[in-house]
Amino acid sequence: MMEFQPGEERGKDGRRIIKVRKEDLVSTLSKLKSEGYIHLSLITGVDRKDFIEVVYHLHSFERNEYISVKTVTYNSEVPSVTSLWKSADWEEREEYDLVGIRFIGHPNLKRLFLPENWVGHPLRKDYDLKNVQYINVDEEGEDYATFDPGDGW
Amino acid sequence: MKTGDPGILTTTLEKALEWGRSNSLWPLTFGLACCAIEMMAIQASKVDISRFGSEIFRNSPRQSDLMIVSGTVTKKMAPRVKRLYDEMPYPKYVIAMGVCVIQGGPYVEGYSVVLGVDRVIPVDVYVPGCPPTPEALTYGLMTLQKKIRGEATR
Amino acid sequence: MVAMSDWVELNIGPHHPSTHGVLRLKARVEGEMVREVEPVIGYLHRNAEKLCENTFFCDNIIYFDRMDYVGAPGMEVGYLEAAEKLLGVFPPERAVWIRTIMAELSRIASHLIWLAAFGLELGMLTPFFYCFDLRESILTIFVEASGSRLLTNYCSIGGVYQDFNEKITDEVEKFVQDAPKKVEEINSLFIKNDIFISRNKGIGVLDKNVAIEYGVTGHMLRASGVEYDVRKAEPYLAYSKVNFEIPTSTKGDNLARYLVRIEEIRQSIKIISQSIKKLPEGPFFNPKAKKSMMIRLRGDGEVYARTESSKGEFGVYIVGDGGVKPYRVRVRSPSLRNLSVMRELGRNVMIADLVSILGTTDLVFGEIDR
Repeated sequence: MMEFQPGEERGKDGRRIIKVRKEDLVSTLSKLKSEGYIHLSLITGVDRKDFIEVVYHLHSFERNEYISVKTVTYNSEVPSVTSLWKSADWEEREEYDLVGIRFIGHPNLKRLFLPENWVGHPLRKDYDLKNVQYINVDEEGEDYATFDPGDGW
Repeated sequence: MKTGDPGILTTTLEKALEWGRSNSLWPLTFGLACCAIEMMAIQASKVDISRFGSEIFRNSPRQSDLMIVSGTVTKKMAPRVKRLYDEMPYPKYVIAMGVCVIQGGPYVEGYSVVLGVDRVIPVDVYVPGCPPTPEALTYGLMTLQKKIRGEATR
Repeated sequence: MVAMSDWVELNIGPHHPSTHGVLRLKARVEGEMVREVEPVIGYLHRNAEKLCENTFFCDNIIYFDRMDYVGAPGMEVGYLEAAEKLLGVFPPERAVWIRTIMAELSRIASHLIWLAAFGLELGMLTPFFYCFDLRESILTIFVEASGSRLLTNYCSIGGVYQDFNEKITDEVEKFVQDAPKKVEEINSLFIKNDIFISRNKGIGVLDKNVAIEYGVTGHMLRASGVEYDVRKAEPYLAYSKVNFEIPTSTKGDNLARYLVRIEEIRQSIKIISQSIKKLPEGPFFNPKAKKSMMIRLRGDGEVYARTESSKGEFGVYIVGDGGVKPYRVRVRSPSLRNLSVMRELGRNVMIADLVSILGTTDLVFGEIDR
């Protein structure tokens, strides 16, 4: 396994990829935002088994240019960028839901698609698809996940 | 010919009821996914579902007697599907439209899709396809009408 | 001012005729005024991203078809932009132009569905029939080309499934001739209706900076005054070789969004009419990606490609590990961002206006929940 080195490289399609440590993530992104990369396009979490790679895709309307910022985390924790972009709110919730990255400092870190007590994060490589879970609704209209089918099923 | 036999009268009344029921099926506007677009298309001018007495799509389950489950039923949606079905008055019928609703379709290997809506609610007619053409759905509706009238369906 | 505890929580959806599918809105209302809105999504979460990891590169197209199901060829183009860069297999010139035509046709089809549904939400039944009538002529072309009406599965890695024969090009030319008149007809049904104007003018004004902050793209961003269209910003397919304009508006309200979309339909027709004339002769499939060999294509590295789908900027991020299946597929859904801004737009509006604002955002849940 390669050691993660901060720095800059070119991607397969010629775009800039900036690699930073997760401690410098927020400062790098806010610097890029002040440089004109005001459109946060996508936040992706990639489960690499030993660690999780978090990729941010930014876009600048003025320069008409794309850039990606990459960081890694070994304990599934990454600082949140909701203070910089409001669109990061739902994107981070989605990545928390499906990949299981905990964004430190997020105001409302809840699952976006699945119910709150769903076991496991489906886009992790070690997620067991054979472990079937069901969803039921309680009296207050909130969903909850169970391993037992229950009455409705 | 009047024979005075009450048995004949009952059968004809039932037949009349079935005939009326089968030609005034009011579907519930219940679009879930891709198939909902084709369900909208059978209302439109090319394949006009109102020729079969089903032109009025009701928004409330309490006013409808046919549920066309069109589109993938996810685990999160399944309790709601069941609840909507429970809210419909008797007699009620269900058409499962598309392979996702029949057995999971292309999402069969996933974690969040119900493998067939018949695990949640009873289904009368299955219309396969991904998505079924409006013509196929019309055939499904006609099959359901035959079923209501007690005629052979195959 | 009533205290917050006196607000009534109103639950709209997940089964509601005006939520475009399976959206649930938790609205906190005070009388007729909506004070806060919190969308709840995930009712159509079909785990497409997980399934993509377990499927060959060439077979993943079917999951993308089913994302934005009202404009399936546009989604295929979005996936293939990324996948072909990753695999290093590129389509020949003719296939590029065919894809351009298909993508634009799907954009019109998608916009027509939106117009029909938007009319229904505002209580107008007539436009529905006009829109579906025009849409049927597009679907005829899709059936002729791919065999399927809605989910075409037409574009494939290294080309398209089958060539445009004379019958299809005739159909397209006929569509290009007929469509402009019909679009004006549909437009007049909306724009000459006083109720439509009064329900949309000045309603749901989206500020430019808020839109950028929330990552809004597509017609909503353009209606707020940002001239951003991926077809111009980073031309893909044959968009650099055709003439078209990006409609924008500075008003940012519902009506502006409607007008931008109508103009988009006109521009799409313009693109198709140019493309069908410029359609070059030649092969429609890259021999490197023969159908029998396609599942053996291997991809390494990572690619992020973006395209302009009918809803906005559609991005696909694919990570490969050198295998025949992608390691990770991530989709940037434009509708998700357009929906998330509802939390801003749904503040202090009437309940009836909430429906018309939601109508103009044009949500497709296959793409939001995936």
